[in-house]
Amino acid sequence: MRTVVIGLGNTILSDDGVGVYVARELRERLSRDSALESIDVIEAELAGLDMMEILSGYDRAVIVDSIELGGFEPGTVFRLSPDDFRTTPRLASFHDIDLVTALELGRRLDLEMPSEVVIYAVQAEDTLTLGEGCTPAVEAVRERLVNEIEQYISGDIRNRVSIDLCFRKS
Amino acid sequence: MASGKAVDAVYNVKPPVPARKLRELYYMAHCIHSHAAHFYALAAPDFIVGPDAPPSKRNILGLIEKVGLEVGKEVIRQRAISQEIQIIVGGRATHPVWNIPGGVSKALKADEREKLKGLAAEQLDFAKLGLKLFDDLVLSNKEYVDLILGDGYELVTNYMGLVDENNKVNFYDGKVRVVDTEGKEITKYSENEYLENVAEHVEPYSYLKFPYLKQYGWQGFKEGQGTSIYQVAPLGRFNAADGMATPEAQAAYEKFYETLGGKPVHKLLATHWARLIEILYAAERLNELVNDDEILETNVRVIPSTTPREGVGIIEAPRGTLTHHYWTDENGIVTKANLIVGTTNNNAPISMAVKKVAMRFIKKGGEVTDGLLNMVEMAFRLFDPCFSCATHSLPGQMPLAIEIKNSEGELVNKVSR
Repeated sequence: MRTVVIGLGNTILSDDGVGVYVARELRERLSRDSALESIDVIEAELAGLDMMEILSGYDRAVIVDSIELGGFEPGTVFRLSPDDFRTTPRLASFHDIDLVTALELGRRLDLEMPSEVVIYAVQAEDTLTLGEGCTPAVEAVRERLVNEIEQYISGDIRNRVSIDLCFRKS
Repeated sequence: MASGKAVDAVYNVKPPVPARKLRELYYMAHCIHSHAAHFYALAAPDFIVGPDAPPSKRNILGLIEKVGLEVGKEVIRQRAISQEIQIIVGGRATHPVWNIPGGVSKALKADEREKLKGLAAEQLDFAKLGLKLFDDLVLSNKEYVDLILGDGYELVTNYMGLVDENNKVNFYDGKVRVVDTEGKEITKYSENEYLENVAEHVEPYSYLKFPYLKQYGWQGFKEGQGTSIYQVAPLGRFNAADGMATPEAQAAYEKFYETLGGKPVHKLLATHWARLIEILYAAERLNELVNDDEILETNVRVIPSTTPREGVGIIEAPRGTLTHHYWTDENGIVTKANLIVGTTNNNAPISMAVKKVAMRFIKKGGEVTDGLLNMVEMAFRLFDPCFSCATHSLPGQMPLAIEIKNSEGELVNKVSR
């Protein structure tokens, strides 16, 4: 199974960089594991049509990013699917298409888009202050999230740190 | 690209001609895919699917259903070609690190140039495809032409754009020319004269400033001759210039004004047509540059030798005139910066256009349909705005406070961050 892990974010905007930091650590670990070294790990500050191109050619994708949802403690990790972002048929941006549309567009254009997409989103405390590194609450969960993604791509779903959207809704 | 030019100015160094041409070549490829993404993914669904089509169809997926899979595939393929050109020339398509003070970090190799020739030729065909689609699906549809020419989407302001020595549109270099609502030149200024020509008005409700012509003074959100408001981006560039510097784009520019009743054009939706003509210009210029032997020369950088201080760089971003102004210490560390980005220049026009279109189409007591709301959206979508670039906040944080009041005006709740 061709798998890609994509860490999204901006590493000079505090917690916004958590996806990139997770990707870097995961890449380092996977490089030491002969069974997993073929998995691609990408750092990106991109979205929309660019994401469609990055995702093309993979069977499975893991996307890691920060998120800001009301009422949750910083460092909470959500495990989401693209359907969780299917909130509106309208344009979600003046500037580009959203992830759901990017996946759908790729499929309609006969590109090989991943059939399995999981999004790990870390509740951020601060994504506005200029600075490298995450806040302590987000930093505290980083290593456990790397563990979970490593286990997930190995087919092991025990010891999860993340919660899924059903939990959030409840 | 603007920051690169500003840093050249900070170090008081002028890049050699081959470096300037390589930068422009890289930038033409960027303009093609930026404009194409806006037209095909964001704007075209309004016209080609229809302004009052249901939202589930009025998007790029609905567009592909209408124009066919092959056009959709070609758009994506050409977008990738634009980015491949950028990677060949500058190493990366996004956030390149090749544009450095005094020039660029690498020269172009002969085999790379041969590959670019083929890619650039494909981009030119793609540019023509866009204009043919616009001809077939928009200009031949009376309903859409009436929408463009009607009084709903009209805003009478001054116009701004970068021009070359012949007053032709240029994206990378030249002087900033401003014309009034009748097309007469008000001013033409160099980069280091921008503060004598442009000032920025502040409203307490917005993180975006409202630039205006300094010589006229801030007069509020007023259109018509004498206003201090100006527009940038494709329509601003077209109206501010005397034409295009490449032959096929010039012919399309002439047809544009003949069809729309002469210069200047105040019809906002014509921006989409102008954007497609700019793709044609960028593709033609791209081909000129890849066939110019000077781009293979290896003198691509002048090493800065002066103490850095202060500099201004101006280009035409796809979304309009982009000004970067930096002040640095003697080590080149930025101590102060001022950025006036394309969307900031268009902030007042966007606000005025939305209000005008809303008042034109939404009537008191009438039903506000989804189609009507989309007609309002079209008024700001045409500017291809980038609010994240245009939003500036000094503290580096958002001191946002929302007060919720009841019908008596009493404070019920206050949320702050």
